[in-house]
Amino acid sequence: MNTGAQNPAPAPNPLPGIAPDWFAAWVERWRRPHGGSAVKAWLGVLALILLTGGLVYVTGGTGFVWVHLMYVPIILASGIFGLRGGLISAAVAGVVVGPLMPLDVAKNMPQGTENWVLRSHFFLLAGGCGGLLSTWVNRQLERLRETHSALVRAHEELKAAQMRLIQNAKLESVGRLAAGVAHEVKNPLAVIQLGVDYLTNAVKGDKGLEETVQDMADAVKRADTVIKGLLDFSRSEQLTLAPGDLNAILEETLLLVKHELTKNHVTVEKDLEQKPPPVRLDRNKIKQVFINLFMNAIQAMGSEGGTLSVRTRRQRLSAAQTGPGEGAPGGFHAGEEAVVVDVEDTGPGIPEDKLDKLFDPFFTTKAVGSGTGLGLSVSRKIIELHGAVIKISNRKTKGAAAQIIFRPGERNRS
Amino acid sequence: MTTVKKRILVVDDEASMTRMLRRNLESTGKYEVRTENSGDVAVTAAREFHPDFILLDVMMPGVDGGEVAARLKEDKALQNVPVVFLTAIIKKEETAPTGSNIGGREYIAKPVKLEDLVACIERHLGKQ
Repeated sequence: MNTGAQNPAPAPNPLPGIAPDWFAAWVERWRRPHGGSAVKAWLGVLALILLTGGLVYVTGGTGFVWVHLMYVPIILASGIFGLRGGLISAAVAGVVVGPLMPLDVAKNMPQGTENWVLRSHFFLLAGGCGGLLSTWVNRQLERLRETHSALVRAHEELKAAQMRLIQNAKLESVGRLAAGVAHEVKNPLAVIQLGVDYLTNAVKGDKGLEETVQDMADAVKRADTVIKGLLDFSRSEQLTLAPGDLNAILEETLLLVKHELTKNHVTVEKDLEQKPPPVRLDRNKIKQVFINLFMNAIQAMGSEGGTLSVRTRRQRLSAAQTGPGEGAPGGFHAGEEAVVVDVEDTGPGIPEDKLDKLFDPFFTTKAVGSGTGLGLSVSRKIIELHGAVIKISNRKTKGAAAQIIFRPGERNRS
Repeated sequence: MTTVKKRILVVDDEASMTRMLRRNLESTGKYEVRTENSGDVAVTAAREFHPDFILLDVMMPGVDGGEVAARLKEDKALQNVPVVFLTAIIKKEETAPTGSNIGGREYIAKPVKLEDLVACIERHLGKQ
């Protein structure tokens, strides 16, 4: 009976090129049967022993050649159940052929009892040797299977690391490009800004011109916001780390977005761990991440508003929480202690086909002009530099959920 | 009674930038503005113009803003003239209302609004 929730990976064929795969699979199926399958296997062995016993009886006793067929069920049982299986089946075979001894006497073979004892010893020897051999082979197979699993795992980790390297190289080049573009665009933008300021005074009184200049001023502001995002993106590698209280940072950040929360009819529900352990972090950068998450949530909920839930807790991570996320290479392990921050909204959630693109630079689900598409990629970079992990998913009920997992501790990790 | 206009020297390698700064600052009626488009001539211009305030771009070909500021510091007649850097390599959020500085000099981020620039100039002139 397979007690695991997951189907184990098929075992590798231990004799590739020699034994066909179907045979390896069949052997694997009966190698160490449990529950109902074990009962079936024992019944099969017993049936073969009885059948051979019957054949020996019909053909005239243990002195005849058919008694050698008894080694088949003994070897089978030792192969399936190991040493114990081999010895038990040998003993049963001995008991089965015992009553056949008088037949030998009738056939003028007076050494029937000695013959029986001798045969039974041979059975036990065969069962014992077969069982030992089978146990040894099983152990070798088990080792092979463990090595195979370890290799598969290492290969998967290597592939993931390679993907991260490619992604980081891409982000790094985008970051360098962004910094260059930001600098080059800021100069002409400064000229336009000053031109707008100059014209604002010059066109006072003409409504049409005033509106035109105002539109230009708004456009400059928007362009400046994009450039600010680009500069953030290119610079997020510089951190000033110190032990910090995540609850306090969340409270401060909520104050910063208070105006937006009120304006958009968003209610905040806080469920904060009483005394979260300190985390080494760059206060301003983490605030930047929280502002980004809060603003995304507020904008997702739209003018109708909704509820923004903010939760912190100290916990040992479950296997589900250590799944794929964006951030620290290698992520976290199940059972590891962590400080988890959850930010959830009651908006429409994120389309499933967009979930894996959320952290790509310049990707946005917002309307044109409403977002730069850099917020989450900057956040991801900041989180990664903190050795933390960020995940974004849809809630089971309506809305989106962001989770950040931090390693607690006041000191740098080597 | 006519008030004496304060003299402001603006140095930036982009002519459109210095032109726009001159127009804006002069439009306030409070300042007399001289502009230069190269760091090489900035110190000479300052010696001739005797500015009350110098606005200096950071990244310029040849002699950059930092070098100009250092040369001004060495000149006894100019070392006390307030210098503020105007730069595109930082964000507005990285400048504090007072105190953000490069080598002891305050800086402001491009793009700057006229009212913020005037407020900065007035603050420095008020200290004199």
